[in-house]
Amino acid sequence: MMREEIYGLLAEFDTPEELVRAARQAYSDGWRRMDCYTPYPVEEAIEAIGVRGNTVPLLTLVGGLLGGTVMFALEEWISTVAYPLNIAGRPLNSWPAFVVPAFEFTILWAGLSAAIGMIALNGLPALYHPLFNAPNFRAGASVDKFSLCLEAYDPKFDAVEARTYLESFKPISVVEVER
Amino acid sequence: MDHTPNSKLPADLGAPPFVGVWQRRALVIGGVASVLAVALGFVGQFQDGLGWGHLLRAWTLGTVVVWGFAVGGLALLMLQYCSGGRWGLVLRRPLEAMSSTLPLVFIYWLAMAVFGRHLYLWAKYTSIESTAAALSAGLITEFQQHCLDFKRAMLNPVAYVVVSLVCFAIWFLFAQRLSKLSLVRDGQSPEAVPNWTAKFENIGGPGLVLYALTMTAAAIYWVMSMDVTWASAVYGLLFLVGQGYSVLALGIVTVVVLSRAEPFKTLLRQSEQHDLGKLAFAFVMLNVYLAFSQFLIVWSGNLPDETGWYLDRTRGGWGAVMTLDFVFHWLVPFVLLLSRNLKRNKKRLAAVCLWMIFARCWDMFWLIEPNFPDAARNLHLSWGILEYIAVPVALISFWAAYYSKQLMARPLVAINDPLLSEILEAEDGAV
Repeated sequence: MMREEIYGLLAEFDTPEELVRAARQAYSDGWRRMDCYTPYPVEEAIEAIGVRGNTVPLLTLVGGLLGGTVMFALEEWISTVAYPLNIAGRPLNSWPAFVVPAFEFTILWAGLSAAIGMIALNGLPALYHPLFNAPNFRAGASVDKFSLCLEAYDPKFDAVEARTYLESFKPISVVEVER
Repeated sequence: MDHTPNSKLPADLGAPPFVGVWQRRALVIGGVASVLAVALGFVGQFQDGLGWGHLLRAWTLGTVVVWGFAVGGLALLMLQYCSGGRWGLVLRRPLEAMSSTLPLVFIYWLAMAVFGRHLYLWAKYTSIESTAAALSAGLITEFQQHCLDFKRAMLNPVAYVVVSLVCFAIWFLFAQRLSKLSLVRDGQSPEAVPNWTAKFENIGGPGLVLYALTMTAAAIYWVMSMDVTWASAVYGLLFLVGQGYSVLALGIVTVVVLSRAEPFKTLLRQSEQHDLGKLAFAFVMLNVYLAFSQFLIVWSGNLPDETGWYLDRTRGGWGAVMTLDFVFHWLVPFVLLLSRNLKRNKKRLAAVCLWMIFARCWDMFWLIEPNFPDAARNLHLSWGILEYIAVPVALISFWAAYYSKQLMARPLVAINDPLLSEILEAEDGAV
């Protein structure tokens, strides 16, 4: 099959240990365009393929700071400019009272930024993914199999050599994934 | 799931030799600080006649901080028996060591009880006649006189001593029992574990309730009653959370430093360290939440009999101390502990935790010193105020020496617990 027609080669393993070992080896052998698919989060697999940190914490921080600032500014504006009220003789700029809603908004915006940012950075919603063309992927990667996919984008990729390479890790199967 | 240990349990579970070195160092530091404290007492007495008064106030600060380690350690010990979790096993023996230091705390407290009349107005003026005389001599305000007379049923020397002794007895009983049973359990077979789990839960559950009550009583008598005019319903909770805050900080420092050598080199994995960091972060948050709630409620109420307490602590230079308290106690640990990488880094996490212990002392300074008429709404430097450095350093150092001794007294990890094989597993899940 031509390189343009396939998405990559998918190797299936029975245990997360085998997957992580294979992924680490592939990374140290110079593979970069690859991904791991597991039924539950395996943090070591993420690190094994060279993902170091991600942008979700930063998004959460920025979201939280924005939320707090926006709410605090809104309260300041309402109480001092838009609708100044004398409440029990307290100053118009009664910041202690503004802290609580500002705090709640910090939490709310941080939470929303984390959730939405995570979904967006994962590339979701995705209506099509070539991996679902692979036989057994639906039944395996979401149940009890741990898969490593070497993608055809990788400059090292050659359908024949990559297959031999993956088979050296003794997976259960190696299948081609159609684009 | 099958937990087959990947690492072997180290043969020697005793404390590494450097704990003995700490102990000696702590004693030396304590000795030097004590000499300084006495010298400052004389100089302070000469300067403004408050040298010994400041020594006693600083003594209260040191006592309250180590008391937090001891009974807070006891509370966390009972909590981890009830909640379970691997972090609990990692901290268990250090917590037992903390709760075994109660005798020393008791000795510290004795000085507060003996010299109580210099700390508490209610111990100085014990009758209606004496408050009336003090009022006409201009020593107390009318508000203070009213409070002293009205609260005498609760705030009097006999009640203070009796309540404190009952509290100490209860804490001591629980600390003794838990420490003793923990060793007995280690000597038994693994089949006995379910029985032990139930037994410890049955002690820990009611123990936690009793802890909350007795600790609140002690916090009110020992610290809050220094100002007879003021009361706060959240005071006990503030101390409870503050104790969790400082005990977790001390526990993390302990296990991180112990992990320089076996057995903790093997026992302290990154994931449990991370969990402890997260727990400490939660306490940092809860602490500021309660402290701010108290402030907000008093601020909103704006009642003359409540705001005075805060005015004593914000006016006349105290605002700077309060702002720094907020920065030290909350902002710094909060911002740093947000980072996942920091919580997984031994050195940095331990540094933040040491900072948290310092911040706790700073908070206590802000809480204690403005209770006294010479300092309320009037923060000023004097030789005497330096006692707040010397005395707590001395008391905490002596306490640390005693704590090290308790750490050396028994194996550093409980072995008859199924969680042990879990923390001996390799962390990766893949080798």
